[in-house]
Amino acid sequence: MKATTSVPADESLVKDALAGDDEAFVLLVRRYKRKVFGLAARFARDGDELDDICQDIFIKVYENLGKFRNDAPFEHWLARISTRTCYDALRKRRKEKSFVPWESGHYEIADSSSGERQAAEHARDLLERGMVMLQPAERLVITLLELEEKSVREIAGMTGWSEANVKVRAFRARQKLKRILEREYER
Amino acid sequence: MKDEQDELLDQLFRTVRAMKVDTDSVGEHFETRLMASLEEHRESRALWSAWAWRLVPWFSIIVIIVAAGSVLMDPARSNDLFAVFTNGYDEYQATSLIAGG
Repeated sequence: MKATTSVPADESLVKDALAGDDEAFVLLVRRYKRKVFGLAARFARDGDELDDICQDIFIKVYENLGKFRNDAPFEHWLARISTRTCYDALRKRRKEKSFVPWESGHYEIADSSSGERQAAEHARDLLERGMVMLQPAERLVITLLELEEKSVREIAGMTGWSEANVKVRAFRARQKLKRILEREYER
Repeated sequence: MKDEQDELLDQLFRTVRAMKVDTDSVGEHFETRLMASLEEHRESRALWSAWAWRLVPWFSIIVIIVAAGSVLMDPARSNDLFAVFTNGYDEYQATSLIAGG
């Protein structure tokens, strides 16, 4: 007889976690942590902050599991919580305008020579220098739009802002980044 | 129309998008750390809730004392509810008359 190993659906894991099964929640975390890390890493300044943001996200998920409705996939609901937590993290450190680069070796650049790696790191530093000058909402929108390649509609769903609002914020962020880069190149 | 700055910005976005963020160090034992934090969270919540329940009798006593005090020490109590409004109005009229307002 052929043994069947079925992967439990998100909804059934949520149900079990709500019933007090911590293992079910750990399975959910294991399933989605990479995606959450990937998004949070766009906003965190170092590994410690990344860890804090990700822990915050999953604690909020755990606390609000009862509010999860099966009318949308769990992943979408998780993405909304992740986005809002990242936004909160950005707002918390709004006053800090100084540029803090990631520790070296934080990014992986596949199949690249040392020259390409250097150029990529320079590009990332330059962009990060501009990003820290943006308002938290602008940074969030431009990151989701340009780096995470989300559509305006998706961003509106994740943030709870209207599509027009997302477009305006993206436009402003782009204009500001262009001005910042212009100044950087003039130096 | 896209200008030179737009193209430069797009180029930067393309480069950074292609860079994969290394989150391996964070991923290591993440679940263990998370569950420990959750446990701590639950404990602190339970502690607050226990304290809240413990304080209920004390708050009840305070409420009873305040209620009893307000009943016993109020000199202007009247069975006529309308008097509460008219007394205030009479006083206001008298003040206006004396002050000439």
